[in-house]
Amino acid sequence: MEAGALELAVNALSVMLEPSRLILLGAGVLVGLTIGVIPGLGGIVGIALLIPFTFEMDAYSAFAFLIGIGAVTTTSDTVPAVLFGVPGTTGSAATILDGHPLAKTGHAGRAFGAAYSASLLGGLAGAFLLAVSIPALRPVILYLGSPELLAICVFGLSMVAVLSGKAALRGMVAAGIGLMIAMVGSDPQTGTMRWTFDTFYLWDGLPLVPVTLGLFALPELADLAIGKKSIGRVHSVNTRSGQFQGIRNTLQYWWLVLRCSWIGAALGAVPGMGSAVIDWLAYGHALKTEKNTEKFGNGDIRGVIASESSNNAKEGGALVPTLAFGVPGSASMAILLGAFTMHGLVPGPGMLTDNLDVTYSIVWSLALANVFGAGLCLLLSNQLAKVASIRISVLLPLVLGIIFFGALQGSRQWGDLNVLFAFGLLGWIMKHLGWPRPPLILGFVLGDIVERYLFISVNRYEWTWLSRPLVILFFTLAIVGLIGPLLRNLKASFKSDQTKSFLPKFSMSAFFTLIVILFLTIYVLLASQWNFEARIVPLLVGCTALMCAILSLINQVFFQQSGNKTSNINENTSQSNIDDVSVGFTKHMMVEGCIFFGNCGLFILLARVTGMLLAVFLFVLLYMCFWGKEGLSRAALFSLGVTGFSWLLFDRVLSIPWPQNFLGSIVPVLGPFLK
Amino acid sequence: MWPAKRHLLAFCSCLLMSQLVVVPIKADAVSDFYKGRQVRLLIGYSAGGGYDTYARLLARHLGKHIPGNPTIVPQNMPGAGSLTLANFIYNVAPKDGSVIGTFARGMAMEPLLSGMGTRFNANEFSWIGSLNNEVSVCASWYESNVKTMEDLNNYELIVGGTGSGADTDTFPIVMGNLITPNIKLISGYPGGNDVLLAMERGEVDGRCGWSWSTVVSRSSDWLAEGRINILVQLALEKHPDLPHIPLITEFAENDDELMALELIFARQVMGRPYLAPPGIPIDRLTALRNAFEATTNDPEFIADATRIQLELNPVSGEEIDILISRIYDASENAVSLASKAIVKSDGM
Repeated sequence: MEAGALELAVNALSVMLEPSRLILLGAGVLVGLTIGVIPGLGGIVGIALLIPFTFEMDAYSAFAFLIGIGAVTTTSDTVPAVLFGVPGTTGSAATILDGHPLAKTGHAGRAFGAAYSASLLGGLAGAFLLAVSIPALRPVILYLGSPELLAICVFGLSMVAVLSGKAALRGMVAAGIGLMIAMVGSDPQTGTMRWTFDTFYLWDGLPLVPVTLGLFALPELADLAIGKKSIGRVHSVNTRSGQFQGIRNTLQYWWLVLRCSWIGAALGAVPGMGSAVIDWLAYGHALKTEKNTEKFGNGDIRGVIASESSNNAKEGGALVPTLAFGVPGSASMAILLGAFTMHGLVPGPGMLTDNLDVTYSIVWSLALANVFGAGLCLLLSNQLAKVASIRISVLLPLVLGIIFFGALQGSRQWGDLNVLFAFGLLGWIMKHLGWPRPPLILGFVLGDIVERYLFISVNRYEWTWLSRPLVILFFTLAIVGLIGPLLRNLKASFKSDQTKSFLPKFSMSAFFTLIVILFLTIYVLLASQWNFEARIVPLLVGCTALMCAILSLINQVFFQQSGNKTSNINENTSQSNIDDVSVGFTKHMMVEGCIFFGNCGLFILLARVTGMLLAVFLFVLLYMCFWGKEGLSRAALFSLGVTGFSWLLFDRVLSIPWPQNFLGSIVPVLGPFLK
Repeated sequence: MWPAKRHLLAFCSCLLMSQLVVVPIKADAVSDFYKGRQVRLLIGYSAGGGYDTYARLLARHLGKHIPGNPTIVPQNMPGAGSLTLANFIYNVAPKDGSVIGTFARGMAMEPLLSGMGTRFNANEFSWIGSLNNEVSVCASWYESNVKTMEDLNNYELIVGGTGSGADTDTFPIVMGNLITPNIKLISGYPGGNDVLLAMERGEVDGRCGWSWSTVVSRSSDWLAEGRINILVQLALEKHPDLPHIPLITEFAENDDELMALELIFARQVMGRPYLAPPGIPIDRLTALRNAFEATTNDPEFIADATRIQLELNPVSGEEIDILISRIYDASENAVSLASKAIVKSDGM
């Protein structure tokens, strides 16, 4: 049996190495890399779009092509993450935390070197894990019932504590907000419309893409706008040597790479655990287990390595339930599943016996795609790193323009831009007031799946499921992981300043907390009117978050010496500083920030009137001319370039339906031109 | 920018045509309209699902059967379980035959059954046809005590569902409300295949609202090995494969119940519905309907569908028209019975 499997694996490799298949794989990789670089587009788009082209191919070639696309989007998404702080896909948000600071200090090359080599090793580890676990796959997955999946997700959620650093209470509140946002929309149990405020847009819940871009990308861009400096200040840095240093770093931390790959692959197999959380969980793991973590969040290369190795290993894991049971481990797998059927393959036991050769060819495709993808990125990164030294007055408007298009891929409605804006503002405030943002995204992604599995577990087994061994194990781990840091931090923050004056201080941070409390109260009150099944989880989450927020407010008002300064020093000296906390808001920042977000707001209004293409053209043109003080001809050239590129990509290639604009609807003659 | 120019040309010719309504040769008018034009096929769901796969397949072939051979461009416009698209097509989309769409099979009955957020009159859509007359089934795992519908009188059947509003939830809820109290729904699975996995590991006993074509294409080994029992067919007509499995409507106890069941399961007939906005020029609707029919007879189309295992039981636009007007003529009793039957009652 063993020898037979090995023989099959070798045969599959020789099949994959046929030139025609390698070329297709390479083509897939190129498409995947391109899609990964563009914020808002993930592997799903590419695979869905190109599936029809695989109709005529044989099964091996088709999967080589499609897996080529899917496997490497998380390799190239590092590029915008490191350079601009803009996640290329939702899987690279954690890369920003350390990758972007590295670029800011002129080490973009090193970040790229580490990221690509970690991606490569992670991807290979994922493929390897898939290959060796093939015989054991089905029993393991059959053993994992809904209660076990729930326990794993809850354990994932408990990483919130690590990812909050010293701001444990705020982290809890942020996670609570994330969970509540996840529950917006039609409730799976009763169909109750939760927090939709009578808008269709919110029926399906908030889309992940604009939320992620808002939380992580806009704040970085806002700060770039405020600083008005180019990203990589050190121009003379030799990126090539930096790149080698990055690769050496990856090899030096091989044990971390391996652990994060395992985390990525194992969690990738859990349906609902998408790339949007896996990078954070790996990052949290690195924080928890590595020594000397004080530089995490300010350009520690290990942060980049952890995040990147996990999200490439994820694909291997996600293939497990897809192949063995036809249960897609991720959204792109769901589409790949469709492709299986088109090529006459039925996921299930057959993939591990009769069609084992196809399964192995998939494993090889995955491995080869990762090699191609990382190799190509390494070759190009020398050029890419130079982008960081482009003048901000040119770069910022262009990147913003692309982000607007990217955010609109969430659900292709104007609401996406509002979500981008709202979460951008929220993220920016959180960033500067020392509120950790990762817990919010963790809560947002895991909220839906946790609620689903909780209901299934309770409805099916009442409470007996709590006595299952794996459930007990993961719940214990979660509780220990959550309560420990929380209590320590609480004690520390309440104690440290008790000797100081008890005069209440009301800082800007406290004011923001007050707004959060108000928001949570309204949401809890709204939720209390729904029927039992729809309200129980939101109320539980809402009240817990509310309690934490109130505790946090008391802490800030009574126990901290003088508002921002002390609290921020606390944050900064914390050993695990997750969010790169700057010191509160200065007046300059407030003014410039208002201008930045004001401009974004104006853009959104303009887009509704004239449609995206014209609005982006005007926005980039005017922004470059007036804010960036660039010459008119240069500005016109760039804005025409970005608009033309977006028109080609989104209108011609992806053929997205543009949301209705005002001008087009009142003057139908203009309709076809305003998109 | 020449495609834009093409739009302009098409637009001018369209203007010109509207001046010359009484052009004697109608077919030419249709062909002139569609020539060089892009017809958008809007899909109410995101890429990758069943509705999307069917629509993209149709888009590859439909154009060559429409006079003037327009390019059909499939576009995903997801939102509110495709309700956004239904409202868009009814209220906003140009009523000239340049936009067609596909949305949830139950959408046409929504105004009757819940009416939440619906801003359309289903009778007025220009129905082009349905690619499949779906037959869904209720199936139980071989280890369950329930092997036939009769067993449901004595034993409980726990079925898995994917969430409120989905067929996997609505169908067992209807059965629970109208036919047998012994069906228990555990809902919240991320997808239909997750329900099957839960069934395999013994978490649930079965699945109701499982398209027969999917059973055949994905779970034929289970069928062959007797790992699943097919209990009942959820449709208005039996599937040719399943002559001996009872149809859900056979369990109705009176006329109102029968009508209510028909009202609910009518969605199966328009399993993959295609339609245009209300009030498009009649000659273009006829052309679209003819093209749809021609496509479903096109050997290349059928070969493609067979290869990717999509079941085809085409239903014409006229048939859908008749079905919908019959449903909207249903008695108040039947409608209220149906709208109560699709709501989960306590203790289920």
